Amino acid sequence: MKLGGIKSVENAHDDSVWAVTWVPATANRPPLLLTGSLDETVRLWRSDDLLLDRTNTGHCLGVASVAAHPLGSLAASSSLDSFVRVFDVDSNATVATLEAPPSEVWQMRFDPKGSILAVAGGGSASVKLWDTSTWELVATLSIPRPEGPKPTDKSGSKKFVLSVAWSPDGKRLACGSMDGTISVFDVPRAKFLHHLEGHFMAVRSLVYSPYDPRVLFTASDDGNIHMYDAEGKALVGTMSGHASWVLCVDVSPDGAAIASGSSDRSVRLWDLSMRASVQTMSNHTDQVWGVAFRPPGGTDARGGRLASVSDDKSISLYDYS
Amino acid sequence: MASVYIPVQNSEEEVRVALDQLPRDASDILDILKAEQAPLDLWLIIAREYFKQGKIDQFRQILEEGSSPEIDDYYADVRYERIAILNALGAYYSYLGKIETKQREKEEHFILATQYYNKASRIDMHEPSTWVGKGQLLLAKGEVEQASAAFKIVLDGVRDNVPALLGQACVEFNRGRYSDSLDLYKRALQVFPNCPAAVRLGIGLCRYKLGQFEKAQQAFERVLHANPENVEALVALAIMDLRTNEASGIRKGMVKMQRAFEIYPYCAMALNYLANHFFFTGQHFLVEQLTETALAVTNHGPTKSHSYYNLARSYHSKGDYDKAGVYYMASVKEVNKPHEFVFPYYGLGQVQIKLGDFKSALSNFEKVLEVYPDNCETLKALAHIYVQLGQTDKGQDFIRRATKIDPRDAQAFLELGELLILSDTGAALDAFKTARTLFKKGGQEVPIELLNNVGVLQFERGEFELAQQTFKEALGDGVWLSFINEENKSSVDAATSTLQFKDMQLFHDLESNGHHVEVPWDKVTVLFNLARLLEQLNESGTASILYRLILFKYPDYIDAYLRLAAIAKARNNILLSIELVNDALKVNDKCPNALSMLGELELKNDDWVKAKETLRAASDATDGKDPYATLSLGNWNYFAAVRNEKRNPKLEATHLEKAKELYTRVLIQHSSNLYAANGAAVVLAEKGHFDVSKDIFTQVQEAASGSVFVQMPDVWINLAHVYFAQGNFALAVKMYQNCLRKFYHNTDSQILLYLARTHYEAEQWQDCIKTLLRAIHLAPSNYTLRFDAGVAMQKFSASTLQKAKRTADEVRATVAELQNAVRVFSQLSAASNLHIHGFDEKKIDTHVGYCNHLLSAARVHLEAAEREEQQVRQRQELARQVALAEEARRKAEEQRKFQMERRKQEDELKRVQQQEEHFKRVKEQWKSSTHSKRRERSDDEEAGTGEKKKRKSGKKRKKDKHSRSRYDTEEPEADMMDEQEMDEEEADAYREEPPSVMNDEEENAQGLLAAAGLEDSDAEEEMAAAPSSSIARRRQALSESDDDEPLQRQSSPARENSVDMQESDGEIRDVHKTHADDGSDDDKQY
Repeated sequence: MKLGGIKSVENAHDDSVWAVTWVPATANRPPLLLTGSLDETVRLWRSDDLLLDRTNTGHCLGVASVAAHPLGSLAASSSLDSFVRVFDVDSNATVATLEAPPSEVWQMRFDPKGSILAVAGGGSASVKLWDTSTWELVATLSIPRPEGPKPTDKSGSKKFVLSVAWSPDGKRLACGSMDGTISVFDVPRAKFLHHLEGHFMAVRSLVYSPYDPRVLFTASDDGNIHMYDAEGKALVGTMSGHASWVLCVDVSPDGAAIASGSSDRSVRLWDLSMRASVQTMSNHTDQVWGVAFRPPGGTDARGGRLASVSDDKSISLYDYS
Repeated sequence: MASVYIPVQNSEEEVRVALDQLPRDASDILDILKAEQAPLDLWLIIAREYFKQGKIDQFRQILEEGSSPEIDDYYADVRYERIAILNALGAYYSYLGKIETKQREKEEHFILATQYYNKASRIDMHEPSTWVGKGQLLLAKGEVEQASAAFKIVLDGVRDNVPALLGQACVEFNRGRYSDSLDLYKRALQVFPNCPAAVRLGIGLCRYKLGQFEKAQQAFERVLHANPENVEALVALAIMDLRTNEASGIRKGMVKMQRAFEIYPYCAMALNYLANHFFFTGQHFLVEQLTETALAVTNHGPTKSHSYYNLARSYHSKGDYDKAGVYYMASVKEVNKPHEFVFPYYGLGQVQIKLGDFKSALSNFEKVLEVYPDNCETLKALAHIYVQLGQTDKGQDFIRRATKIDPRDAQAFLELGELLILSDTGAALDAFKTARTLFKKGGQEVPIELLNNVGVLQFERGEFELAQQTFKEALGDGVWLSFINEENKSSVDAATSTLQFKDMQLFHDLESNGHHVEVPWDKVTVLFNLARLLEQLNESGTASILYRLILFKYPDYIDAYLRLAAIAKARNNILLSIELVNDALKVNDKCPNALSMLGELELKNDDWVKAKETLRAASDATDGKDPYATLSLGNWNYFAAVRNEKRNPKLEATHLEKAKELYTRVLIQHSSNLYAANGAAVVLAEKGHFDVSKDIFTQVQEAASGSVFVQMPDVWINLAHVYFAQGNFALAVKMYQNCLRKFYHNTDSQILLYLARTHYEAEQWQDCIKTLLRAIHLAPSNYTLRFDAGVAMQKFSASTLQKAKRTADEVRATVAELQNAVRVFSQLSAASNLHIHGFDEKKIDTHVGYCNHLLSAARVHLEAAEREEQQVRQRQELARQVALAEEARRKAEEQRKFQMERRKQEDELKRVQQQEEHFKRVKEQWKSSTHSKRRERSDDEEAGTGEKKKRKSGKKRKKDKHSRSRYDTEEPEADMMDEQEMDEEEADAYREEPPSVMNDEEENAQGLLAAAGLEDSDAEEEMAAAPSSSIARRRQALSESDDDEPLQRQSSPARENSVDMQESDGEIRDVHKTHADDGSDDDKQY
């Protein structure tokens, strides 16, 4: 397996690009790339040429997260001011504006069926679930306070939630927090199940394997990517190689590889059968905040695509095969 | 058989005496000789016959009788025969003297000989044979010049006197004029072709000395041909055979030598050579016996010197350095000039090195070098001595000379590399590489230490790939391969255990599966270094397995524990890290490195008192000589000085003083310790000596660049702080940004905070806000950053509104920013309900209130601005119209004037008047209209904005004053504090002593030690690096807390213990404070 550079857009935004996701294809159009930036805009790009399709404005402070509905019609973007804007991808019409003060908004993900939007709630130590038809808050998954408060450790007793991930069957939700713990929830019963331990620094990104609902990949500031059996609470493997924080991780649609982006400015491709880094792309000149594999489907029969975005204001697109 | 016939007196008869049947008792013959008054030549013949048969006593008896006074009287006229007898006796005693080894008897013999010769001279002054004899005697006594004079007397008389020629040849030989000597021998041979073998021996020796070996050999062979028992010729030939230095030659030589020994067991030369041979075959007992015999039989200086040398060598090789030294010394004493025989000097030098007497060794090796200026071994030995004496430069010169002379001497390159390591790692690496190539070319195995050193140097230069290859080459095949190589990884399920830092199950499993888990002792260091390298390459999982492999086999390997602890620490797993350090302390509870690390970990855990104790213990464990521990204590004091929010000036001063003292102490011991210098500069900066501290920081920064083992981001930050404190914001920004990029992969939110603060001071509001947003993105749980962002937005808005001139767009942006600020503050306010952070609600509310107030004001401003803008536009329009009209009027007027003039001349007065009137009217109309319009407008303006402006400007002044005074007093300090804090961390990071890595000498053990030195420094470095991160964390904690501190005191006393930590960012805190104050001031005024 390997990555081949297809195209890079320098200055794709006016400032650091912090978020990226693919909007799945609909009947009328191929998949689009959705990016969010510190310049307060959200932009839509046509692959493979990365032509700018549209620029959405309206956010204040930087755009920290973007998410796309599995059907490709809706997308959400959120910024540091903790507003979530849900909009129609094709018309840019605002569908809803969400906020749940005092909870902040960090990473967002739609569930595989598209009925729920999960939002990492930062300092509220919870994940908020929004119904995608009514746009009402349907549940708050809170991480239980650890027993025995430690007065000396100010931030440690709080699970500051940064990232969320859905299992492919939509039954499980995992979230990563600042102190490195990962919490797993049973979504249908809205119940906390257990923690996964091993990281002791922020987990900014995590993703389930598309085929095995038990396998979870996590990226942490400690520079490692862990592979967990999320049901058995067991650490299955560690992949080290990045020189600094691992900021993002995504798994390929075929489930054979994962890609990660790091503060060390590189994008790495990992072969899961070898559990080793097989390729390192170093075309970015600053931290790589997002990597995203294009979901399969659509009329586009071409090979897999991976996109990465970085603090250097650029977007890169690679061929994955 | 020959016989002599003694004529019987007074008759014709003769007595026949068969020479081979001489009576045992010489008296019988003597009686006959006396009785028959036989001629004296018969006496001599018979005596000589006795001598030939070895019957010395009889010989002497006859000759003594033959030289007695009666004989003199009786044969007074027979002069020649009497002289011959005396000379024979003289020669005999000369010979005795020559071979006698005891000094006293030797002299007695010589005295006797002299007497006989003198007596002979008295009989006839001019008899040449007497002079020859005298010459021989003088030669035997070693008085070469006098001997020469004696021979010359003879030769002046008779040019071809053979014995004199031989004597003179001998003289010339002794004088070292071998070709003259050779000529004389040749002449003797021409004159007397049948002369004895000895002449040819002389020729052979001359030719040998002249380097004509083949001819020399021929000469010796002729001698042997003439006399197969000639020991000298045998020995000479043997020596020549040995010289060939080939196995067959040596064998032949030894055979001859042995024969010579059998013929005559007391030839010192042969003994020495035999001893030499047995030395090489290792038969030391024989060596001693032979050399002792040789010593007993010779008095000849050089030969004795050889013998002593052989003996010394034998002891030397047996390791008995004292005895060897004594004999080398004896040998040296026998040598007049080192040029004659230089080996014992070399041996003596070697022994003296062994015994630690470098000065004497130095002089001995220098003597050797005088003789052999290009001898590599000597050069290397000298280099070694100079290094031992601390004169590294000289040592390098010598070893460099050695490598130049013999560019294929791997050992020399190895040593050169070792010498260069401390001064020039690049050159050292080159030397090591050359050595490696030479070893390989020579088909020798490359020593592991060499590869290790090459690897470490490559590592240090950042050539990680190469270093990895080198280490792997050094390791060769072994159990570790299954962990290192990716292909084999799956065979061992290592991945699962990468996080279990203490798990040894993996290796037990391997063993029970029949694998052989073995780590040879000489590869442990390489293995450790490889693991260290893997860490550097971020393969910390594999590294952890290798460390554990080392511990599995060598559970006392403290450094491996410490590295494991460091890995755990890098992953922020403090508890595990402490546990691992404690394991190390179980091995050695005094290990200063482990203690220091434990201290840092405790600091990280906010356990101040414990940390101080631990650091003290570390310092004590090394008698205060360990700079790391001392520095850590210095840092501790520095933190203590600045940690408290309500600063106690007295306490602060004490702590600072103490910190300074500790830094200085380290600097005295290690004048090049970067971290101590940094720490000292921090204290200076704290006291306001910015220029000095800037200089120091700059120097430290320069010194810290260039090695992967020295990473000192803190000094960059400190420099930036100094620039900041001196108001050089642009440089400060650059410095912060470079530091962030260079050392932190742009991930450190604390530095972003510094950066934001600099932008803030420079009034670059947008940059400030953007920077803070980035920081929030990196550290989402740090609410202080949000607060700061809110403040920055608020400040930006306020400053825009205060501007005398502003566009409506600016005001619009201001309004947007204010709305953001309000949102940020209200979020904080809401979040504080959750007790997520410690902000005082009231304070936030004040900000919210102020922002809202500003907002409403801004709306007014906006309207005003928009109105104004519109008015301006209108006014501009009007002005344009007026200008147009005026222009038109002027043109018309001109035209009219022109026309008027023309017409005037035509005198059409009537029409002129009419027109004038008309014109006047028009003019008047214009005037009145413009005038009134203008007036109206200006009135309007004044009424609308004038008032506001006035008020505002007053406000502004006040505020400025206010804030400025505050900054002046508090800020510099605050920043400094930060810096210092940073520095300190750096200071912690301090101690990278120059990797004292590898001075390994020739020996493995030393190599290992040296390598251990390297490891140490790594471990330390790690530790060093770690503190800074811990501090960063603390700082973060602090930054959160400081804002609230004042509030906390009121609102949550329960949190008091946290106040301890609040040393840090005074800076931002100040910002807030001033801001908050500004805010409230403004509020009031509004």
